[in-house]
Parts: sequence; C-alpha cells; structure tokens
Amino acid sequence: MKKETKASSPLRGDKRGAPVIIEVRGLHKTYTETEVEVKAINGIDLSFEEGEFTAIVGPSGCGKTTFLNMIGGLDVPTSGKVFINGTDISTFSSSKMIDFRLNNIGFVFQAYNLIPVLTAKENAEFIMQLQGRPKAERDKRIAELFEAIGIAGKENIKPSRLSGGQQQRVAVARALASKPKFILADEPTANLDSKATAELLDIMHELNRQEKVTFIFSTHDKRVIERAERIITLEDGKVVSDIIVNI
Amino acid sequence: MIIFRIAWRNIWRHKVRSSIVMFAVTVGLFGGLASTAIMKGMVMDMVKNNIENEVSDIQIHNPKYPANNEIRYVIQNSSQVMDSIKKVDGVKAVCERTKIQGMASTASKATGVIVIGVEPELEKKVTGIYRCLTDSAGTYFASKHRNRMLISEKLAKELKVKIRSKVVITFQDFDGNLTGASFKVEGIFKTQNDLFDKQNVFVRKSDLDRILDMPPNSAHEIAILLNSNDETYTVLPVIKKMFPQYLIEGWFDINPYLEMSTSMTKYMLLIFMSIIMLALGFVIVNTMLMVVLERTRELGMVMAIGMNKKKVFKMIFYETSILGSVGALLGIVVSALFAWYFGNNGLDITSFSKGFETFGYSTVIHPILETSDYIEVIVMVFFTGLIASIFPTIRALKMKPEEAIRE
Repeated sequence: MKKETKASSPLRGDKRGAPVIIEVRGLHKTYTETEVEVKAINGIDLSFEEGEFTAIVGPSGCGKTTFLNMIGGLDVPTSGKVFINGTDISTFSSSKMIDFRLNNIGFVFQAYNLIPVLTAKENAEFIMQLQGRPKAERDKRIAELFEAIGIAGKENIKPSRLSGGQQQRVAVARALASKPKFILADEPTANLDSKATAELLDIMHELNRQEKVTFIFSTHDKRVIERAERIITLEDGKVVSDIIVNI
Repeated sequence: MIIFRIAWRNIWRHKVRSSIVMFAVTVGLFGGLASTAIMKGMVMDMVKNNIENEVSDIQIHNPKYPANNEIRYVIQNSSQVMDSIKKVDGVKAVCERTKIQGMASTASKATGVIVIGVEPELEKKVTGIYRCLTDSAGTYFASKHRNRMLISEKLAKELKVKIRSKVVITFQDFDGNLTGASFKVEGIFKTQNDLFDKQNVFVRKSDLDRILDMPPNSAHEIAILLNSNDETYTVLPVIKKMFPQYLIEGWFDINPYLEMSTSMTKYMLLIFMSIIMLALGFVIVNTMLMVVLERTRELGMVMAIGMNKKKVFKMIFYETSILGSVGALLGIVVSALFAWYFGNNGLDITSFSKGFETFGYSTVIHPILETSDYIEVIVMVFFTGLIASIFPTIRALKMKPEEAIRE
C-alpha cells in the first residue's frame, strides 16, 4: 500500500534523511529568442537526496526538460542557483561544466543516443574511457553491469542490431558505468513497449537500491510514475506538488 | 584511442562519399607530384646537359675577356694553372680552350659562329660533345690531319654541308689582322640545345692557336668539371683564392638562367601543391561540414555526457586527417611509382614537344621526386587536415548539447 506525504515548502525529499546532493534555489529560466518571452522555469526551489528515485512530471511545455538541463549543467539559469554537493555549478565555465558532467552526472536520453559505430561494450565504457580509467577496471565494471541489466553476451554487437529496450539498457549501463553522483533520465521509456519498459524500470530500481545512485526522471509515462518514490509535478515552470511515495 | 577508433569507423559510415574524397585527394596529389616530377626532371636534365656540354661547373677567364670576347685577353701559363687546379679536392677534370668569334661560310651561305679550339682528349673528360655525334660516318677528332671541325646538325643543314665538306672560317688573328682557314667537317653533333648548336663549332686548339698566332701556353677559357655539381659552392672559393687575378665563375654565374631554373624547381612543388591542397581543403571542409550537420545529435550527446572541446576537435581532426592521409598515401605511392618507372625509362614527349630543344630542354624526360618532396607533401597534408578541421569543429562546438540532442 502506498502512503502519500506532501512535503512542506521549500519542498524537500526527506525519505531517507540521506545527504542532499542537488539543491536549487530561486531557479528561473526565461527564453527571449522569440518575440514572446517564455518563462520555462519560474522560481523553483528543490533539493534531492542521495539515492532518490524521483519522477518529474507534468504536461508538455511545463519545464521538465529545462529543469533537468539546469541541474545537469546543460543549460544555464537566467537567475537562481544550482548546487551539486554544495558547489554552485551555475558559475562554471563551459569547459569546467563539461568536466563536471563527465565526472558527476549520468544521462539517459529518450532516443538512447548510443554511438552507432561503437559496440555495446564500447558504448557502455565510453565515459570511463573519456575519464581515462584503466582497461582492467573498465572491463570488470562493464561485465558486472551487463550481467546486472541482462545484456551479457551482447558486448560486441553494434546498437543497430539491438532492440530498443536493449539499446536503452546499454545507455543505462553507460550512464552508470562511471558511478556518477546522480542520473538524469529524460523520457527514458518513451520509445519502449510495456515489457521493455517494465524490465528497464526493474533494472534501474535495482541499481538504485544496490548502488545508491540517485535517479531523476522527467516523464509522462504512467508506468514510470507508478514506480517512482518521489513525484514532483511541474506546471508553467513551477512546482505544484512534491509527493514522497512510501512503497 | 577511443577517439581515433570512432573517427576511423565514422569514415566508413559513408563508404562511397569517403572513397570519393580520398580518390580526389589521390588524384590531386598525383597531379601535383607528377607535374612537379616532370618539371624537375626537365629542368634538371637541361641543367645537367648544359653543364656537361657547355658551361662545366667552373670556368676561368681573363677578367677582360667576357666583355667583348677579345682575342688578346688570354689566361697566361694556362697549363700551369690547369696543373694547380687538378690538385684541388673535388676537381674531376680540367681542360683549356681557345674561343673566338668568326664567320663560317660555304658556297651556299655564311653565318656567324663561335669557334672553340679544344684539346680533344682533355675536352672529352670535361664535356660530353663527343657523345653527341649523330652521323655514323663522323668521328671525334680521330683524323690526324690538320684543320678538322665538328659542326652541329642544325648548322650543317643551314650551311648545307656534310661529313668531309669544307667550311671556310674567317676571323681576326691575335694582332687584329683578318685571317681565315678552311676546315673539313669531321663530325656532326646534336645537343639538346638548339641555340648552342647553331652558335658553336669545335676545332683542335692547336690548329686554331696556329692560325690565330696565339702566344704559347695560353687559353681564353679553362673549364673545370667537379666530382659533383653540388661541390661548385665549396670548390669555387678555393680556386678564386688561388687565382685572384682571373675571373672565376660557377655555372650559376655563367648561366644565371640555370640557377633560376634550379631554384624554381624548389618552389614548384610548393606552388603546385599549395594550389591543389587549397582546392582539396575546400572539398574536405565541405565534406566535414556535412558530417557535422548529419551528426548533430550524436555530437550533442557526446558533449552532454562529458566529451570536452579538445576531444571534439581531435575527433574531427582525426576524421579529416584520415580522409586526407589515406588519399595522400595512395597519391604518394602512385607518384613514387610514376617517378621510379619514368625516371628509369624516360617519358618520351617528342610528339607534342616541338620547340622544346630550342630552349635546351630534352624531349625525353626523366621525372624526379626527392625524399624532401614527399616530406613536404606529408607536412602540407597534415596542415591542410589541421586547417580543414577548424571550421567544422567551430560549427560543432557552437552547438548547444541540449538542443543538438533534440535535433
């Protein structure tokens, strides 16, 4: 049975009382490229603790992806601050931000975005290679992950010969391989069928528990929302609810 | 390593397109290298023939002689001078000549010529005229009779003479009196320089000295052949120091056109290849821009997950370089084979090179490519790759990863 708890403002997830790894304060993002000014994020204050399995939901255009881009250092807020482990990343230069992303954040995209010329294993170890990790360490980690996500034996297959579900598993392995502080998954199940979605969610949930990695999803998918332990709803760039779900 | 692996595999994602670019580079490079090799071969052949048959490596004159070629400005004690020069390191052979201007006439025509009096055996060691006899009936001063001459094929035609025909040559003697003698044609020669052939006839120095009443042991010109053409620059100062009273010149001073042609060959490759590489650079830039455009999402993704600008540049540079260098390697191999084959067997362009010989160029070319040429080309390919990478990289780095991923 699920027990729902509405968090007080500022909205905080305090499911486990674990250390806060992401904290945003007074976050605003306004796009002025078009004639009409668009306030994609309109004053968000949130924090995320280590080991969360959180879904950010809301209608299209509510600012889910923009919010994910802000905390993932892919976009810069118009105002407000993003703290990762207490460090304000909104002041980072683009080069420093790239390095920061490389060593701290894992990404899972809707369209998998694997490198088509690399095999499944090469894709999964790509970030570790960019980090300069030794081969033995990479091999060990990828073997563990492929076993855990159920694609052992597919190491030398190119993405084009894998199913959508398998490709997304490889993308999850890539995101997890370097043991990032948190993983941002933007609509990770949008292109998957029910079976593949259920399997992928099982895998991610299991890894969340085993490796204590924080997962933050932006999603429309009911199946993801049902598995989330915290559900943040955005509307017009604002948080309208932040629910801790105790399973 | 992973960056190189991605770049290499990316190249083969579009096999046809990449192959076309590589082929263009191959053809471009071969075109540039082959043209350079042909030009170099032509010029070097001309220089070699000129030095061998005409100017030699170093010449010595009385300082006043070259102005008007006046008969009285001689090198005295010429045999002692020659003996001293023979002892200089790098000197292969030395000969002396009496050289005057005269008028050669036959029953049908008269023409101005330069009469070169040579010592046949010494001359043989310095110049290659004896190798240029065309008429099988002719010989190179084999006759023991006096007043024999070698005349060029061109001049023989003009004067309408053949072997054993008589030609009367008139000139001023040492005292300024008009004198002349009849010479019998003993050999007919043909060099690769029509101008030289038209102007010069060869006689024995002893015959000419006698007719001119030249002072004994004197000459107008001493010609020196060195072990190697390149040694001219080192031997010349030594001889100049030995005989400061004479005008001593290297082949490049005597015929500045040769020097100019030689230096031109050094820049020829650079000029040809710069133009070709510029054109190929545009082809490569265009291809790489297409690549960047096609892979917007992929590039956005790798930048999002942490591939820094340096690595993005590296990836594009590797792809550009592979496109350039695979083509370049093939181009170099084909050019090397071309230069090797025709360098040994000669490239006969007689059928479409009328007039080449007028300017001293051979019609059988031996293309030349030196190691430095290959190195120059490799360096140019590298820099073309580097420069051609910049524009596509700028385009790639301008992308916002979050937008690129959504493309």
